[in-house]
Amino acid sequence: MPTNNPLPPKENALFKRILKCYEQKQYKNGLKFAKQILTNPKFSEHGETLAMKGLTLNCLGRKEEAYEFVRRGLRNDLKSHVCWHVYGLLQRSDRKYDEAIKCYRNALKWDKDNLQILRDLSLLQIQMRDLEGYRDTRYQLLVLRPGQRASWIGYAMSYHLLKDYDMAVKILEEFRKTQLPKPFDYEHSELLLYQNMVIREANMLDEALKHLEIHEKEIVDKLSLQEIRGELYLKLDRREEAASVYRELISRNPENWAYYKGLENAFRLEGEEEQLKLYTEMQEKFPRTAAPRRIPLTFTTGDLFKRLLDKYLRSSFHKGVPPLFVTLKSVYQDPWKVQVVEDLVLKYAENLKEHEHFDRCDDGDKEPPTALVWVYYFLAQHFDHRGDTRKSLLYVDLAIEHTPLLIELYVLKAKIYKHAGDVEESARLMDEAQSLDTADRYINSKCAKYMLRANLVQEAAEMCSKFTREGVSAVDNLNEMQCMWFQTENAAAYQRMGKWGEALKKCHEVDRHFTEIIEDQFDFHTYCMRKMTLRAYVGLLRLEDVLRRHPFYYKAAKIAIEIYLHLHDHPLKDTGKDSSQVTENLTPRELKKLKSKQRKAQKKAEMEREKQKQEEHKKEHQTKKQQDTDLEGPKEEELVPDKLARVEDPLEQAIHFLKPLQLLCADKIETHTYACEIYSRKGKLLLMLQSLKRSHKVDPDNPYLHVSLLRFLKLVNQKKGELSETVHKVIQHELETICSNKDAKTLNEEFLKRNFNSVLHRAAAAKMMYEYEPTPEVQEKALNLATKLSWDLSGLNVKNCIEVLEYMCRGEFGKCEKAVQDYQVQCHNLFPCAPSFIIPANSLPDQIVPNGTAS
Amino acid sequence: MNIRCATPEDLMNMQHCNLLCLPENYQMKYYFYHGLSWPQLSYVAEDESGKIVGYVLAKMEEDPEDSVPHGHITSLAVKRSYRRLGMAQKLMDQASRAMCENFDARYVSLHVRKSNRAALHLYTNTLKFQISEIEPKYYADGEDAYAMRRDLSEFKEVFKQETVKETLVQNTSKEIQKNYYVIQESCKESHKEKPSQEKASET
Repeated sequence: MPTNNPLPPKENALFKRILKCYEQKQYKNGLKFAKQILTNPKFSEHGETLAMKGLTLNCLGRKEEAYEFVRRGLRNDLKSHVCWHVYGLLQRSDRKYDEAIKCYRNALKWDKDNLQILRDLSLLQIQMRDLEGYRDTRYQLLVLRPGQRASWIGYAMSYHLLKDYDMAVKILEEFRKTQLPKPFDYEHSELLLYQNMVIREANMLDEALKHLEIHEKEIVDKLSLQEIRGELYLKLDRREEAASVYRELISRNPENWAYYKGLENAFRLEGEEEQLKLYTEMQEKFPRTAAPRRIPLTFTTGDLFKRLLDKYLRSSFHKGVPPLFVTLKSVYQDPWKVQVVEDLVLKYAENLKEHEHFDRCDDGDKEPPTALVWVYYFLAQHFDHRGDTRKSLLYVDLAIEHTPLLIELYVLKAKIYKHAGDVEESARLMDEAQSLDTADRYINSKCAKYMLRANLVQEAAEMCSKFTREGVSAVDNLNEMQCMWFQTENAAAYQRMGKWGEALKKCHEVDRHFTEIIEDQFDFHTYCMRKMTLRAYVGLLRLEDVLRRHPFYYKAAKIAIEIYLHLHDHPLKDTGKDSSQVTENLTPRELKKLKSKQRKAQKKAEMEREKQKQEEHKKEHQTKKQQDTDLEGPKEEELVPDKLARVEDPLEQAIHFLKPLQLLCADKIETHTYACEIYSRKGKLLLMLQSLKRSHKVDPDNPYLHVSLLRFLKLVNQKKGELSETVHKVIQHELETICSNKDAKTLNEEFLKRNFNSVLHRAAAAKMMYEYEPTPEVQEKALNLATKLSWDLSGLNVKNCIEVLEYMCRGEFGKCEKAVQDYQVQCHNLFPCAPSFIIPANSLPDQIVPNGTAS
Repeated sequence: MNIRCATPEDLMNMQHCNLLCLPENYQMKYYFYHGLSWPQLSYVAEDESGKIVGYVLAKMEEDPEDSVPHGHITSLAVKRSYRRLGMAQKLMDQASRAMCENFDARYVSLHVRKSNRAALHLYTNTLKFQISEIEPKYYADGEDAYAMRRDLSEFKEVFKQETVKETLVQNTSKEIQKNYYVIQESCKESHKEKPSQEKASET
């Protein structure tokens, strides 16, 4: 061993005992033995002992000392693999994986065949997706331990992940030959299916099929076997065989839509009649199955569609299938079909009411009375979908009159109000629904969600607490359980309330869940190789690579970025409390609500509660600290709302949330419009340009892109003198592709012309018109453009109208109180249920304060 | 609704569905543990846009006391707005068949709250489960559980005929599991074989 100071036998025995104590978690004893060595002046600077002392201290939570000792140990013995390994373990415990990898590599320099270090290194490499490094390490492990199963699997997998399929298949094949499968050998079966997966990914379809044929009997996962076969037969155009496989799959699980698709492809069915024949056959074969009755509604048209729909609807209403409407989602994409549905169901309603039959002339058995309720229920959903609040309320009320205690009806009514923009009434109704079945968590969750939409944060937490663990606050328990729907909704509520710190806390909690879920992989790197569930394992790795593509991350990131942008533009004053900001940052809708004293009282209570909760949390934290000295990950910094809201580098924070979106959500235009906003505040023209380019790729006519682009042009113009020639050239070159270097005015006119019938596009064009030329004449023109309302405009809905209203209130059209009021009146006529458009009797125009939410 | 075997990408959305519908919740890692130990056993029901509206999270009992290989339903849920389409039964049937085929399971077990009459009805009448014992104070709040079982040998025969009668599922299909701590323990247990990564190398 190339260590600098080997210990004499007595001390060496002590040192071995330190290692043992560490393994057995007897840290206090470990320290004792370390002391015995280190108090001897001859060995007071013994590197490996110092390092082990540090590692032991780390386990006792004494982080700073730990680093001090480990580093000192290392300095004293740079050629010791123990010191380097220990330093690596220390970094790894802090999740500084890149650093840890470096340490392990150094350790291996001095002891290149150390199995434990090689294994540790390979884990970090796969975790960090250092695939080449992983391959090299796995190679060494194979050379050192050729008799172990995991050595082969790991080595093969490293090639698979590097997309060197040939090599991966070969290694697996060599390994497979050594195996003697038992009868009913699940692990062997999984190995074969993994090998087959690699063969297919190499696009060696014939070989894959042959591989299955050879090993068919050894594969116990019959479903996968058949699914893979079906797919391969189709790709190889062996259609008859494909058809028989898909038939088998359908009889196995007749509710899987993909199997029907497979069968259709196998038969190369064309024309709805032909397609329908297949489904009719399946209906007869599986009379209790929904799929063959439902799928034809998607592809049929005209009278055929009408006939099938009629049958489908009648039998569902007759049986009483509450989710009937949601089963028709895709049918609603075709406006003609929507009309057919409407005509049919309206007719049922009429006939059922008068004759208790779906048909006027039917004189068979009468329909049960429930049929009419479900028809009303359906119609209410139908009209809600069409945006006709009045009619949808009419039908839901008819249904309630008919069957007053049906919870679904209240749930629906709440939903209608939510869609109509009246969040408070919707929360009240959902609470009513919830009170009719307090044992059902689904209703409870929905109720909490609606409360959050109405900014009733405390009430929502109380609602949730009925189903969270006793003795812990609901909010903490939901965080512990990674309940992200609650946390993202909660963040959005705090954002609307202007409680930036609280909102950011929720966003960071969600972000941490994602980090945690990525950490979760760690244990499975070795676990799956032992269990042989390699296909699922590769699935996990691929999932984790894109984990933050999940909508929950997107929601949290969006809120965080918006808030950080706002905090950059309007930093909190040192003395000002978070809540003093509230009035400044409210939408007009909330401002009006704010007036009530009641609300202030509520807020006070909430703050007190929050404080209490924080204290509780702290206590809990402390007790936890005492208990878990043996923590797996590093201790996370506590998220303190006030600190979060007073962050020094809001833009850097925003970029932290933005980065994963740029990597994983490049197809979402908002990713790039946010990027542009951030970089414009950092004065980074080229990065702004990059974001504009990317936005342009996603949707060249997007209204937010349009606004960003025109603002960018303005900025470039202003900065003309300061820009270096190269930068200027790049910008001009790129702008040529994005907008043919036209001037802003022309661009705006053309944009408007192209999108003249869209509410948001008009608003964007109007905004830019005024921004470029803030004169009273242009203001009037712009306001006319933005505030015109008629049903033939696309995107005419509550949400978009509120957005336009917010632009006006925020001063993007200059001072325009009169126009705001007129607009509200107009909108109120269109959307009578939305409180945003109700002008309180005592409100004066000057009470409308510009809204401060970040754009 | 489309019913298919769950993939790793589904696991997060299953967790979301679970949090919406049931009082017994687990961290992601526990879903990973299921999905990576027995990838064939969990199923999801999704709507046309791919949203998970119901799922069954299932496993094999590790080291069964009776040394008879058998499956266990950790959690079964269907969103309230999608109930009465018979999905709980379809999910359970697929999972049970997979248990037989892949792991030679002889029976499948589950726990249900004594008070959850709707679920009890589903398990007893529709799914042919039988109460095997009562486990007192099984749940965190002190409620007793019925331990239930369904024999799968008979079920295998049924599958041979490939026609499973769909019975309308009348009510909530709440399925229940041990309280959180028990779960965490068993999750740890299952990982007990993992290498001690903290171990320093022997010189």
